[in-house]
Amino acid sequence: MTEEEIEKIVDRAYAETKIRYPYQGGFFSPRLKHINHMEVGRSKIIQSWYNILLEWIYEKWNAFGVRYHTWLKRVFPRRNVLFTGHIDSSLVGQLLFAEPAKDNIPIHNMHLEFWGRTKFYQWRKFGECSSDENGKFRLEFSLIPTQAWIIKSTLHFEIYQTTDILCEKGRMVHKQSLFKTIPIKKSDLIGMEYNLRIIRLFLWQYRPDSTIPRVYIKPDGTDAPEEYPEGRVRAMTEQMIPIELTKVKHLLQIEEDPLSLSIAQIQRDYPKNLTVAIEEKLPGYTRGDDWFGIREMNGMNMSTFQPDATTPGEYWVRYFGACNYEVNDEYAFPTAEIRFRMKPNGLPTPIEIHLTGPLNRFNKDPFQKLVVTSSEGEKWLQAKRVARVTSALCAELDQHLAGTHLNTEQYSIAAHRNIRKNPVITLLMPHVKSVSLIDNTADKLLIQGYIPSATALTAKSTEKRAADLLGFQDWKGWKPMKVLSDAHLYAKAEELYWQVVTEWVDLFFSQHETEIKKEWLEIYRMSEDLVAHSVPLFTETVNWDELSPEELDFTKRRIEYLAAEYRMDLNLPRKKVKGTQKAISPITESTVFREDSDDWQNLKDMCRYVITTATFLHTWVNEHQYEDIGEVLYSCLGLRFGEKETGIMAPESDISIAPDATRSTQMMWFSNLLSRTEYGFILKNEQKDMHPEFMELLNAKKKEFAALKVNVEEIESRTNI
Amino acid sequence: MHTKPMIRPVKNSAWHYFLRWLGAGYDKLILWLTSKFFALGLALVLSFPKRYRMSHNNGIAGKGKLRIVDNPQFPEHDFFVPGRVFDARIRHAMATFLDDAMKGIRSCSIKFADTQWESPMDLECNTGEINLFWSAASFLKFAQLRKQQWGVEYEEYYRKYPQGIIGAQKALRKDATSYTNLRYYALTPFLFIGKDQIKRYAKYRVVPFDDIPETGLITHPSDWDTANQRITPHEPRGRNYLKDEFVKRVKEEGAHYRLQIQTRVANDDDNPEIFNNQIPWDEAVFPWHDLAIIDITEPLDWKESTLTSFSLNNMPKTLGIIPAKSIYDYNSLNYMRAHAELARKARLFSYKIKGFPPPIPDDDNRNKSDWDGKY
Ligand SMILES: [Fe+2]
Repeated sequence: MTEEEIEKIVDRAYAETKIRYPYQGGFFSPRLKHINHMEVGRSKIIQSWYNILLEWIYEKWNAFGVRYHTWLKRVFPRRNVLFTGHIDSSLVGQLLFAEPAKDNIPIHNMHLEFWGRTKFYQWRKFGECSSDENGKFRLEFSLIPTQAWIIKSTLHFEIYQTTDILCEKGRMVHKQSLFKTIPIKKSDLIGMEYNLRIIRLFLWQYRPDSTIPRVYIKPDGTDAPEEYPEGRVRAMTEQMIPIELTKVKHLLQIEEDPLSLSIAQIQRDYPKNLTVAIEEKLPGYTRGDDWFGIREMNGMNMSTFQPDATTPGEYWVRYFGACNYEVNDEYAFPTAEIRFRMKPNGLPTPIEIHLTGPLNRFNKDPFQKLVVTSSEGEKWLQAKRVARVTSALCAELDQHLAGTHLNTEQYSIAAHRNIRKNPVITLLMPHVKSVSLIDNTADKLLIQGYIPSATALTAKSTEKRAADLLGFQDWKGWKPMKVLSDAHLYAKAEELYWQVVTEWVDLFFSQHETEIKKEWLEIYRMSEDLVAHSVPLFTETVNWDELSPEELDFTKRRIEYLAAEYRMDLNLPRKKVKGTQKAISPITESTVFREDSDDWQNLKDMCRYVITTATFLHTWVNEHQYEDIGEVLYSCLGLRFGEKETGIMAPESDISIAPDATRSTQMMWFSNLLSRTEYGFILKNEQKDMHPEFMELLNAKKKEFAALKVNVEEIESRTNI
Repeated sequence: MHTKPMIRPVKNSAWHYFLRWLGAGYDKLILWLTSKFFALGLALVLSFPKRYRMSHNNGIAGKGKLRIVDNPQFPEHDFFVPGRVFDARIRHAMATFLDDAMKGIRSCSIKFADTQWESPMDLECNTGEINLFWSAASFLKFAQLRKQQWGVEYEEYYRKYPQGIIGAQKALRKDATSYTNLRYYALTPFLFIGKDQIKRYAKYRVVPFDDIPETGLITHPSDWDTANQRITPHEPRGRNYLKDEFVKRVKEEGAHYRLQIQTRVANDDDNPEIFNNQIPWDEAVFPWHDLAIIDITEPLDWKESTLTSFSLNNMPKTLGIIPAKSIYDYNSLNYMRAHAELARKARLFSYKIKGFPPPIPDDDNRNKSDWDGKY
């Protein structure tokens, strides 16, 4: 079969598995309540008719509440008209972050308003202001209008937060939401200053118990600093219902009779994925070397190819497995280093696989090594599968979770905490919103849920690994991946996307130059937060003196490879905070903009990096999951050691090393959840929060992207799943 | 971003004019009622049952002469005729506490007559170029939040109203060596319609005749301790040391003061803040001029001191208080003072019924504001 013929078949399989599953439930169809109610076990899906009825009544009641409030807003509008006269009074005080209380961190540039209501419930505005750089505010107003007999006895001091950036009539506007109201007794106002003293706000707080910069959300999900848009929740519900029902059905069957459910049956019950579809048409192709090379280069892993030191045209892709992280006894997680040779068509073909670490449950030596070459027949097939599984877990944890989700969250927190007046917020917010929420869900679903039950890692080691990997990620000096050949579609797409983002950021910065420079303090404070809360540079955390020769060699290889993978220049001078060198570089060290610095370019670089990470990089690793981990036997996140001496070096037919039925259905559910519940695309602009210029720039490259098999319509605007 | 709010325009239809007229009437009514109820409350709670003044119970008076200066630098006025001599009384007192060694506001009240009450003009002055309150509304809040205990007071008031703490730090005196070296301000301005019939406003103050240093100033104020007015832990001086010093001084050498005045021409578009007693008039623009010299030559005993009362109603019409529009108006402070007559009458009546309160004994009831030594 010619390459073209194979490609046609693969393209057909792509088209076939692109099917969407529009939800067409009736009134008494089961419904899923919220993203937060997702569970790897049984999600809070409601099925009984009386529960559905109750839920319906509850929904109606909620909808009534929403309508009532909309009605109230219409009947008692808040007109932006000041009831004022001679300014003789002021409300004074200071806004500080609630935690850490001992540090008294000011909240600058918060918008504050002072309102009263008449005895007929009309709103009257008396004044407004913003907090200054020390968080202090002086909201000036005229006393007499506040003391009119018609004004009710409680006045409202209101603190506002920008919760969204929306495009209205071609202009990006801040959507302000009331964050907190402080009631003031009308009779307490007597002229001159009224001191509201220190007001501590629980606003975008860092989690105190995490080494990774995470936002604090209460265990019950309340007190989250942001909310999912309704459309996101709806998209999730509609697309996940059939998938959720399949999982529930499987779990029930397993409860009844665990042996009655085969992996093949599980696979059949879920929507067909790419590898299954190809196998139907071209049996064995997806287990072959060509496909292995294509997926390593252009699949979910988007692997980094490191040139071999001695042989030109040969490359290494390395996936570092368990390393020295805590592992369980059930699952294998060997390190897989794969040697490739570049074929004339520009695609890599694997020629050698080096596996380091335990492959069975008997030999625990972490540095035992198995080298398998492409001439070894069945053993070669097994080694490729082992490498696929290790690379899948690495892609999931290192690239997806740490590289995009957690990486973006740290920028999201720093931006939300500090940027309010600076136009950079309108540039960044549409791309960094929601990530803290989905990361919070990932804690439960992935880190504490699926990973410890279906892979070698524990929740603790997953977190440790994620923190270590963040130690390899910095905006400074980041460059798109080097294109190795014409067939290196991923690298070409990444480069093209980077060009679009660069053009867009340049345009935005030229449009808003004056304001960005004027509100530089916000950039400084964002930078300070970013650096202060950043994890240490990974190399800082290694205790070099305590490493054995094998560990030393392994660690050096790992550092060199990961630095290349995350495109981090380890030799850049990095800032020390409390004696520790931080992974993230400061954007600026000055509270006012200095022309004689690199700060302007730094800020642009940071924005380019964050936008690219939150959109393109995440979309890539997220959307290709169902292709690369959507067939249990082809690849999964962990192979079991099994009982035999051969361990994981066994054929796919040895079910004892594959995930069990529960883990299999959960894995299928997971990859569906991640790849099939899209919402918030740049060009679809469902939330009307995309900059029209950015959309135009991206749309202009539609054909170029299509040539790289990237549909620009499907690039997500943010990391929200 | 936020759009700048529009300022509600002033509407000038007949209807709106009527509404404004109605509103102004309502505000004045509230001011009148507030003042009357306050006086009644004072009479019923303090003056009659306890024989108290509103605040300055702890005082001593003296008498002598007040002589208008020969060559006034301020605009000519029919009442302040150059060289004119009045019999006069002054009374020094301390607000609220019956212990001269405590931290507190000190006062100097002047009567242009040697009588207990009747007089062509009275002035009530206190230490501090600014004070702790600025309108009737703020005074009522001040009174409401006194919450005195163990010689500590206004803690909550200071927390809520930063201006109160600034005023306290400027106005309170501790460890003064004599009433006669302090500076006293009448604060809220008065009317001044001179011979030229031009409407002016005037502020008054009393300073020592010789430019001697003021004592008792709070030189290094602490925001955390302003509410603490207690005596110093090892205070050797008694509860009456300042009054005793005054009596001794008057007997030996007399007490000599200058009454001074600041004036400014009234304009329709004057900023209301010129009436705000928290904002002194710029001395460079509105210099203080000598108005009169006061020589006190004879101390009055406790009983006579207690009977001597002052009122802002004792003023020539051309020098009276400035009308106030509401309880928030800075001039409402003087308006309310002028309406406290009932309280004075109730106090004098209670003396008749219950007898005079005894002089403050030099005992160990320190840090107290009640006659009976209870807290
Ligand atoms: Fe994701």
